[in-house]
Amino acid sequence: MDNSNKKQIVISPVTRIEGHAKISLQMDDSGQVTDARFHVNEFRGFEKFCEGRLYTEMPVISARICGICPVSHAISSVKACEMIQGVEPTYAGNLLRRLMHVGQNISSHALAFFHLSSPDLLLGYDSDPAKRNILGIAEKYRDVAIRGIRLRKFGQEISERITGKKIHAMGIAPGGIAFPLTEENRLALLNWIPEAKETIHIGINIIKKFHDENEAMVKSFSPTPTLYLGTVGSGGQHELYDGKLRFVDADGVILQDHVEPKRYLEFIAERSVNWSYLKSPYYKPYGFEKGIYRVGPLARLNVASRMKTPEAQVEFEQFKKINNSKPVHGTFYFHYARLIEALSGIEEAEIILNDKLITDKHVQHFARWNNHVGIGCSEAPRGTLFHHYITENTGKIKKVNLLIATGQNNPAMNRSILDVAQQYIHGDKIEEGMLNRVESAIRCYDPCLSCSTHAMGDMPFMVELVNAEGKILKRIARDN
Amino acid sequence: MAKLTLQIDGKTIETESGRTILEVCKENDIHILTMCHLKGITDVGACRLCLVEIEGVSKLLSACTTKIADKMVVRTDTEKIKRYQRITTELFAAERNHVCSVCIANGHCELQKLAYDVKMDHIRYPYLFPQCEVDTSHPLYVLDHNRCIVCTRCVRVCAEVEGAYNWDVMNRGTNVRVISDFNTPWGESVTCTDCGKCVEACPTGALWPKAVVQGQLNKAPQMISELIEKRKMKL
Ligand code: SF4
Ligand code: SF4
Ligand code: FES
Ligand SMILES: [Fe+2]
Repeated sequence: MDNSNKKQIVISPVTRIEGHAKISLQMDDSGQVTDARFHVNEFRGFEKFCEGRLYTEMPVISARICGICPVSHAISSVKACEMIQGVEPTYAGNLLRRLMHVGQNISSHALAFFHLSSPDLLLGYDSDPAKRNILGIAEKYRDVAIRGIRLRKFGQEISERITGKKIHAMGIAPGGIAFPLTEENRLALLNWIPEAKETIHIGINIIKKFHDENEAMVKSFSPTPTLYLGTVGSGGQHELYDGKLRFVDADGVILQDHVEPKRYLEFIAERSVNWSYLKSPYYKPYGFEKGIYRVGPLARLNVASRMKTPEAQVEFEQFKKINNSKPVHGTFYFHYARLIEALSGIEEAEIILNDKLITDKHVQHFARWNNHVGIGCSEAPRGTLFHHYITENTGKIKKVNLLIATGQNNPAMNRSILDVAQQYIHGDKIEEGMLNRVESAIRCYDPCLSCSTHAMGDMPFMVELVNAEGKILKRIARDN
Repeated sequence: MAKLTLQIDGKTIETESGRTILEVCKENDIHILTMCHLKGITDVGACRLCLVEIEGVSKLLSACTTKIADKMVVRTDTEKIKRYQRITTELFAAERNHVCSVCIANGHCELQKLAYDVKMDHIRYPYLFPQCEVDTSHPLYVLDHNRCIVCTRCVRVCAEVEGAYNWDVMNRGTNVRVISDFNTPWGESVTCTDCGKCVEACPTGALWPKAVVQGQLNKAPQMISELIEKRKMKL
């Protein structure tokens, strides 16, 4: 195709998301945005270099994929290991892992909301870009900034008090966990609960106020319907740690329910695209075009029948009113969903910490390699996360497949960018505030790029591109 | 045994002949860095960390394999020695794939501790990134060549303490590998008794029990030395 009548706007790097990314918008002569692509240039090849290791090392290795969601990786991984061994975790070990998982979700959501998104919400999209960040918040809304930082710390402290490490959690082991929780640490964590709840309610008030004051924008912010995937508990309740898969369609009709995560490949297919290291997964029965689905906080609230905890349930009921009990498609509601999940996490942490057996010393079962294949799943802060290992006799890893939240949201994310771009950018009139809204569409998904660009093999040219960011641009220009 | 007198770091020491500089230093609380040495088994001078300067000798000698002599003047703490120790440690780290953050031995590793001791804040040599196997064939233990520094403690413990002679060393230079039997998978060994002494003796994350994850490894090489003592005493 002739390139001369096309313009390309490149926004790079997208600020305030984990990792590095680039968006390019394709414009035609009349100034209409015709295509949007979210590029991921970071390359980490985890799947490849795990080959040849012992499977029980995977929880530790894969926790290093991402500094934001290491526990989710370790949890999905350890479940895959337990399937390989054919072992169940101990009661206390499992509960401690659940607590760590909840803690990470709180931290991650606190980071996403208070550090990364609240500047847009409190200072405004069109405010000075140099101050539209957590420091700008600290200047004008000191209490909010400090509370946000402390809430994140609470989540990390859960990990630290259980395993001795703040970020890259140690000790998550097949059969349970390596270390028991001491009574002193249990009490110290319980102490945090009232403050954490208060902070989340402040966050919820911020987002609700923003919804009220910007109703038109919020409602029209990339409302393209998609399917949704999330895990739910046995009664259909919201469940991040141990749920089964549920797919719903854009009207909320349940397409698949209580599917064992190890059957994920029956329902999810992946397609590699030549302009991104992210694979594009889709709901298999519907095919690539119609099978776009989303995962993450919004998806989880859209698939869940209810929340597990009372305060979160109250918010959930309000959330459900947004679209008359049907799935909420507006991408902007990701923020609200995230805060409801964080609230539920804090309530759940309190319940877990009050469990009589949480300080039990019997934290780990031991077993050996028994099965070749292991598949584990949990809900990472950003969505459903699958680890799939194939091992040789005695447990050497032969093949790893990681299906990661940001990858699953990738097709929908591109669609959201296109929606927003078409709405806000016409012709040459491009102001900073508009470009920022495009970025912001992406930020709604809170994409974690360091953990989603883990694959290699499907795209042979990837290796030659890895160090040269600019080259991708040229390639795309040629393709067009 | 004949008595003799020597000087180490300015300190005059009177002791019996026939002993190594390292033994005498230990007895006199003079700290020397070691890696391939394990009390009770034969010293081979493989790691070159315990180097000392001896007056009248132009090159540095390993304290673990050099016998003391009358009127010997030894220095263990010179700048030159420190420089060599730092170089040796850097070469250990650069030769294979030591990614401590994901290593089973993280926090419980003699090599890691050594790196702290010599204040290794960066590595001046190019990493070799060799392709190394992880032998997972043994039902209880793993041998990860990526973390092996070829100290041969495992080889000697297996031969001298357990008497099984499972381990040996093959090839030279960067291709050197610890091997089980005649370079066959460890799990197929006909000599290994599964006793685990090599695992306890190994200073790094090269040999480890399958039952542990990072944070749970707790090796006790001193247990081997005690075992040898107890056997001597015929308790
Ligand atoms: S063996 Fe020791 S130095 Fe090597 S990677 Fe493991 S912890 Fe680090
Ligand atoms: S396996 Fe361990 S004990 Fe044996 S040579 Fe290698 S580092 Fe030394
Ligand atoms: S301890 Fe003396 S050479 Fe290794
Ligand atoms: Fe991540």
